[in-house]
Amino acid sequence: MRLYDQIFNVVKKFKELFSPGPVTNADVSGSITAEIFIIVSIVIASLLLRHISILLAGLVTLILAIVLITNIPLIPKFKLEQEDSLEKMLFYAVLVLGLIVIFLYWGGNIV
Amino acid sequence: MNELIPLMVIVPMMAALLLSAFSKFNKVIKCLALVVGICLPIIPLASNYGLHFFGGYQPIMDNVTNVIYHPAITYSFDFMQQIFIAMIGLLTFLVIFIYLTKYKKASGSYLFLLFMGTAAVTALILTDDIFHMFVFFEILALAQVGIVAASSIDYSYEMALKYMILGAIGSPMMLLGIGFLLAMTGTVNVTDIVSIIRGGLLDVTSPVFLLSLGLIFFGWLYASGLPPFHTIKSGIYSKAEPHGAALLQSFTVISMISIVLIMFRIYSTLPIFEVLVVFFSVVAMILGVSMALTQTDFRRMIGFLAVGELGFIGLGIGLGTQYALTAGLFQALNEIVITALLFIGFGAIVHATNEVDTRKLGGLLAYHPKVGIMLLAGGLAMAGVPPLSGFQSKLMLVQASLSCGYPELSILAIMVSIATFVVFVKTFYSMFLSPKPHDLEVVDNEVPKAMVFAMAVLLIVIIALGIFPDVVTSGISNYVGGLLP
Repeated sequence: MRLYDQIFNVVKKFKELFSPGPVTNADVSGSITAEIFIIVSIVIASLLLRHISILLAGLVTLILAIVLITNIPLIPKFKLEQEDSLEKMLFYAVLVLGLIVIFLYWGGNIV
Repeated sequence: MNELIPLMVIVPMMAALLLSAFSKFNKVIKCLALVVGICLPIIPLASNYGLHFFGGYQPIMDNVTNVIYHPAITYSFDFMQQIFIAMIGLLTFLVIFIYLTKYKKASGSYLFLLFMGTAAVTALILTDDIFHMFVFFEILALAQVGIVAASSIDYSYEMALKYMILGAIGSPMMLLGIGFLLAMTGTVNVTDIVSIIRGGLLDVTSPVFLLSLGLIFFGWLYASGLPPFHTIKSGIYSKAEPHGAALLQSFTVISMISIVLIMFRIYSTLPIFEVLVVFFSVVAMILGVSMALTQTDFRRMIGFLAVGELGFIGLGIGLGTQYALTAGLFQALNEIVITALLFIGFGAIVHATNEVDTRKLGGLLAYHPKVGIMLLAGGLAMAGVPPLSGFQSKLMLVQASLSCGYPELSILAIMVSIATFVVFVKTFYSMFLSPKPHDLEVVDNEVPKAMVFAMAVLLIVIIALGIFPDVVTSGISNYVGGLLP
């Protein structure tokens, strides 16, 4: 029950900040599902790197798994970064534009 | 009968202008909107396949190189365009019908925005001209902003303004990318650009060509609401009227597939294009569904789920085989119908309860059994439960990624479907099956009949496509076969 309690407390704090109202079982189970879903899906997605290098895929998967699990709960962090703040939206838009252009301009003909 | 091809754009556009001009005459604009709404799905079904050259400028053959050039803005109409334009027409009709029955005094300006948006997406999917595509992409973005701003929901202006500000980054980048492409090829006709690339007249590894891909790709991310634009996209869905949101999401899906198919034709020679599409699709799937799992506002939840579902479409396009592209486009068609059903159904619940927080709702199945059952069917279709249409397209996508040698993507697709199922079951239980809270007042016991009618029509389409997917997939597959090099 440690994980459940930990998530419950986080969800409770989170609700107080952003969405006042009672914390229900469904909220906590939804957050736990999201937590597990994010970790597993990112780890599985990182396995795709095996098409570039098996060693790289192994290393990245291992590092990601450790980093993600040791940083539980992740959902509040993800949610904070994806709120309706224009500053954050603009920041990520410009960041992604920069990354795409850099990646394509200097590395696009390699892949 | 190829004269009908431009009419698919001209009719809604003229209707939009007339509705705005005669907005003082309530009965006239109501009748006009309804008649045009009925015509919209009929025109594509009555039209023959073919090309339309604006201004009558026929293609010119270069006798030296035997290459055909297209001086006119060209519309290309095939089975794929037919099925999507007919579906958007049907949805526009249903949305107009709901709107006209909901309000005694119709707003000419709001109807203008709905019809202008429909005209813009129709032009997007028909056009073979990349600059023409950009013009209608801009018109569509403005129409979307207007539809959100015109809704009576709190903070809708703010969300519309944020969408417009982000568009001020996405759109110029796309235009710059188109400018680079024009500078390198000397044309904006997509078929001509593809001929130049396939003829080896352009160095596809040139940094300028790669930069044009990056910039147009970024504009596409904005148009389709893939990360980093997933938050704003789900936000505008939640701040629009439910029927408006149903139409907005269909605009997003059509603009997504129209632009990505043009990009696919131009850039598919570069393997990095497919890598990028798959990468952003996977991120959209993960972020969309995980955010949906934590929402308590059910309109926002459907908004995030819709964004996650876009990832499935992108996955099909990114895999790049004929089967995968067919699966991606079939998924796009299904998403238009399923998400529209969910937005309209949840809109009916808002109408009945004035509440959007799932924690404050409960016991609604006793009050609205028809809406509840149709919403359940829609949610199951979105999660990919057989025999509904979502199952067929998701199964095709799983098979496609397996056959391409990416079992990880198949596992991810299945996981996302399961998580979607969890989101929906959780929400459905909270709203319909859990005990009714004492302080919940069901304001209006009658859900508007127009909403129930629209949901029933969409549910019939979902079941029909689930049982007879070949009616659509075989035609789409033939179309896709023509796109591949």
